[in-house]
Amino acid sequence: MPRISASLDSLDQVAGYVLTLAERAGLPSCLTDRLRLAADELATNIVVHGYGEAGGEFAVEGGMDGDSVWVRFEDDARPFDPRAGLRCPEYGVPFGQRRIGGLGVYLALTAVDGFTYRRVAGRNISTLRILRDGAHEKDQRTCAG
Amino acid sequence: MAFTATLSSGSGAATIHLAGELDASTAPDFHEAIDDAVATGAGRLVIDASELTYIASAGLRALVFARQKVAEDVVIAITGVTEPVLKVIRMAGLDHGFAIATS
Repeated sequence: MPRISASLDSLDQVAGYVLTLAERAGLPSCLTDRLRLAADELATNIVVHGYGEAGGEFAVEGGMDGDSVWVRFEDDARPFDPRAGLRCPEYGVPFGQRRIGGLGVYLALTAVDGFTYRRVAGRNISTLRILRDGAHEKDQRTCAG
Repeated sequence: MAFTATLSSGSGAATIHLAGELDASTAPDFHEAIDDAVATGAGRLVIDASELTYIASAGLRALVFARQKVAEDVVIAITGVTEPVLKVIRMAGLDHGFAIATS
């Protein structure tokens, strides 16, 4: 399980890990893009909101099973359920007045087919899961084209 | 992560050419380019995204920042948008705030 320094400079490393996993799993590019986006947003969240300036380390691991590919993050930052910061896009609000805090979590959760969070023995454990058959593709809003 | 935001201006427009991957680690460079573009006072802001291969929420936040920073009558055009980037813009519901042209 790769351990990664909790800094924004490490996002590249997370992306590299997820892209390699997606390639091994044979995910098509649209699903690879989704998984990478979700992982990137979660990692950003851990760095910015979990550890903040205190810094630290987190771990990322991933794998595949029959119908899905998953990526799991573990960190020992303060208890932090990413879903607490979720805010949906403010479609009805004039563009110039929109607040877009929480957008990253929204993108992460929208991009994948499954998300779980647990706090276990002082650690935050978040798992992203994407279905290999691209069931999510049926959602025109999130994967048009 | 390789990312560049290059500003050029002329003919009443400021153009920011983006290349590479725009995430939380590279978004500050884009913010800076937006500030510089706004300072030119151009009546039109063009964001050339033809070489932008990835965008995360931090990049979207910068786009919203640009919209909020320029005067209401300044058109922001995003040109050459690649499919993966467009999908994220749509996912966030930001596709109606800009004049978007795909590659």
